[in-house]
Amino acid sequence: MRVSAAVLVAALTVVATGCGHSSSPKQQTILVVVDAPFSRSPYIGNTIANGARLAADQLTARGLSVGGAPSKVRILKLDNALSPSRAVADMRRALRDHAAAVLTDGTGVDATWHLADKEHVPICIAYQGGTELVNPETRPNVFRIAPTDHGLAFRLAEYLVPKRLKIALLTDDSDYGQAGRAALGDAFRTVSKAVAARIALPSSASDLAPQVLEARRSGATALLVWARPAVLAKTIAAARSAGWGVPVYTTPAGEDPVVRQQLADHSSWLDGLTFASGRMTAELGPAPWSAFQAGYEAAFGATQVGVKSQGRRVIAPPDYGMYSYDFVNLLAAAVQRVDGTDPATVLSALNQVSTRGANGDERGFNERNHEGVVDDDVYFARFADMVFKPVEDDPLSSTLPAIDQVR
Amino acid sequence: MSAPAAAAVRTGAALREVLETARASWTDSATAGGMVALAAALAPFALGGLIATDTLASGAYLALAATGLGLCVGLAGVPSLAQGAFVGTGAFVAAHVLRHTQMPGELCAVIGAVGAAGLGTAAGFAVRSLDAVRVAVGTWLLSWLVALALGALPWLSGGAQGLVVPTRRLFGFSPTPLVHYELAVILTGLCALALVALRRGPFGLDLAAAAQHRGAAAALGVPMERLRVGAFAASAFVGGLAGGFAVQLDIVADPTAYGPLLSFELLVAVLVGGAAAALGPSAGVVVLGLIALVARAFGGLAGVSGSRFQPMLEALLLLAVLTTGGNAFVPAAIAAARRRFPERRIRPRPSAAPLRTRRELLRAHELAERFGHVRAVDGVSLELTPGSITALVGPNGSGKTTVLRLLAGALPPDHGHITLASHELTAATPAERVRHGVVRTLQTHAYFAELTVLEHALVGIDRTRRHGGAVRALVSTPLFRAESRLAEAQAFAALEAVGLAADAARPASELTGTGRQRLMIAAALATNPAVLLLDEPSAGAAAEDLERLTAILDRLRAEGLAVLLVEHNLRLVRAVADEVLELELGRVVRRERLPRL
Repeated sequence: MRVSAAVLVAALTVVATGCGHSSSPKQQTILVVVDAPFSRSPYIGNTIANGARLAADQLTARGLSVGGAPSKVRILKLDNALSPSRAVADMRRALRDHAAAVLTDGTGVDATWHLADKEHVPICIAYQGGTELVNPETRPNVFRIAPTDHGLAFRLAEYLVPKRLKIALLTDDSDYGQAGRAALGDAFRTVSKAVAARIALPSSASDLAPQVLEARRSGATALLVWARPAVLAKTIAAARSAGWGVPVYTTPAGEDPVVRQQLADHSSWLDGLTFASGRMTAELGPAPWSAFQAGYEAAFGATQVGVKSQGRRVIAPPDYGMYSYDFVNLLAAAVQRVDGTDPATVLSALNQVSTRGANGDERGFNERNHEGVVDDDVYFARFADMVFKPVEDDPLSSTLPAIDQVR
Repeated sequence: MSAPAAAAVRTGAALREVLETARASWTDSATAGGMVALAAALAPFALGGLIATDTLASGAYLALAATGLGLCVGLAGVPSLAQGAFVGTGAFVAAHVLRHTQMPGELCAVIGAVGAAGLGTAAGFAVRSLDAVRVAVGTWLLSWLVALALGALPWLSGGAQGLVVPTRRLFGFSPTPLVHYELAVILTGLCALALVALRRGPFGLDLAAAAQHRGAAAALGVPMERLRVGAFAASAFVGGLAGGFAVQLDIVADPTAYGPLLSFELLVAVLVGGAAAALGPSAGVVVLGLIALVARAFGGLAGVSGSRFQPMLEALLLLAVLTTGGNAFVPAAIAAARRRFPERRIRPRPSAAPLRTRRELLRAHELAERFGHVRAVDGVSLELTPGSITALVGPNGSGKTTVLRLLAGALPPDHGHITLASHELTAATPAERVRHGVVRTLQTHAYFAELTVLEHALVGIDRTRRHGGAVRALVSTPLFRAESRLAEAQAFAALEAVGLAADAARPASELTGTGRQRLMIAAALATNPAVLLLDEPSAGAAAEDLERLTAILDRLRAEGLAVLLVEHNLRLVRAVADEVLELELGRVVRRERLPRL
């Protein structure tokens, strides 16, 4: 009896297998892992992941075909919690799952690139700007689409020095601030007369008045702050509450919603804050960016900053989502170019393809350059009434249109 | 016979003896432990792709670090919150050695462990005499210090990217996650065995005694502070070893991975799994792994990362364990199994050896002690001669106990000196005096509640052992085993002298008050004393207890001991004392020799 049952089950299985078989090619999945600090910096993590997901959904909807088979791009989110060892564990999982590429904020790349390189899996950094992270010769599988620290620092120096300001360089004691201190040190090396003071900001301090006072006493006529958003907000608060209307310049940290949230009760203190970042629009005009932003908001909703401007709610443009969006499109272009998913050939093809980016710029890499954002893509924007627009006194910024930030 | 052949014969005999000892002492618990170890070793094959091998390997290294912490928490009863810092120290030391030398990976891990042991020794030294709460706070601060130092010193920690370490072969194998996992399981198993060996040896017994009653342990000469430093160092060594190997699995020394949260999680693992059980910490780590899965599920429901829920769930579990009586998983499981399947093997009782005592004269000359303006002891001189009992009587506050404490070394005298035979003892510590043969007992409530009656006597014997060190206990040398057999026989002799040999296997907490007092006399006798200082041994004694106590004291006199008896019960004094000294306001106001029949 038992034997007959087993034979019956086996026969049914064979029949079922035969019925399930189809002559049409099976759908392929191109897996892109987003490894970002979702638990520690959710704004950064979600922006990167959403940009990647938007591109994946659009590609799948358009009908991606690889090797004659319909394909789809799938995004897998893994939380590295800003921990390099978590990033290594995430990379191992990505490799086990045969990921086609890994998008990351940059955490742990020093440790993970080698693991990925053995399997010819490309890594794209979409946030951190450390110069040493990307090197096409020694790390052939590491790419970046984000402003570099080097680019930000040199553009800031180039912008500020001609104004004949005496600049106090304030950097916090986080890794971000320490990287900024090194980048600013290089950028201001030949123009050290423009530097009034170099001051370290303790991230954990509740009041930065002593450090701001030290800057004031040094004769500074401008503050250049390279710090985490919360520290930047405290620095501005310390200066303004002391009645010091000194101009403040900073990095992309300035556009982080945290800064505006912390200064919401004193919106005038934020007026005049100028930050450097990767530009969202190109000379072509704002249409490509607007299309991207509309798609992003339709899919995920607008990122509310939590403050108002002239009675209307302020939203944060998804500029870092633009970078991950562009990389997924580049990856898809590479896959289609080789018409397959063999990692080594896809990696090689990434050095040859280019796409139209979310802001209308041409994005692409080559064997000698794995940076997707060149130094000249860094622009400056200035706040007024909780929203920002490109400055008028920088030739590379003044031609850029302002992005609508209220709803 | 040539020298190598003779050595080979000796080695063979020693190995046969080890096997025989292992077979004789093999228990159902040992069988269960072996099966758990085998299951753990096969887990990557059994679980298939369900859990990634690198995740299992990380967990196994965590289990190793937790088992190391078990040395500190389970043996010494010290709630260390610095194990994460020790793991981190091992990891970063090993990482720097790996980056700057060509040494093999396993050697780098050991160097990391030595570095961590150095920090552990310093930490142990700092907290050696603190109570549990202060130890917890102090070690928690150390965890923060290490985390802050790693954050503030990028040259040490590698900054946000960490220190990337080169991969090296481990014991000749390619360092795959599977090799790391099996290595971690083997090391955890060895550490658990070490925990068992140490717990049964003098090191563990002394630590347990010190954890349960510091005063009674000090009176028996247990060198508590030194043992505590040793427990911290050993715990840190194992933690550092885990860190030194784990960093080679992670291929990066991560400055964010060794913060206070790791220390908290390791302590939770130990307390939840069971600090007293060798496999308790490992079981605790498995529970933490399950909690991580639950936290992930919660996170999925709430739309946030599961890591936000994990510490909260861990803290809730710890609270649940503590508020329900502190019965951790593994000890509770062992107790349940024992109730259902009683241990089949009963250890044979060794035959008692003769009671060991020394015959030496103690002299105290012009002892004086002030507490502020009060002269507690004022020029007291006395002689305690072998084979005699001297009673110290007087009203409350007359200075009797202070004299006892001066003689035992618990208080340094303001004036006067103490000698035993030719040895000057005035400045000697209590532990040194016990080694010379001067030992005291405290009052009824001073005993070690979680030790058995036999173990109490063994704590006393430990003071006389020459080959009972922790390292010898770990490797169970022939000398150690031989001395252990002798120690057990002597412990039985001491118990027989006070009429407790039949109760050897009972927990001391089951004895009556006078039974515990007799037990502490047995523990004192086990130290091979010349002078016994007894503090009110008749407190709470009924008439039949007094008769038994009288017989015991008579026997001690007959054995040649010099006994000083601080006593309120004049009936007992008259029954046993050869000489009575009456104290009043710290001075001897009357000396009387009593005729003995």
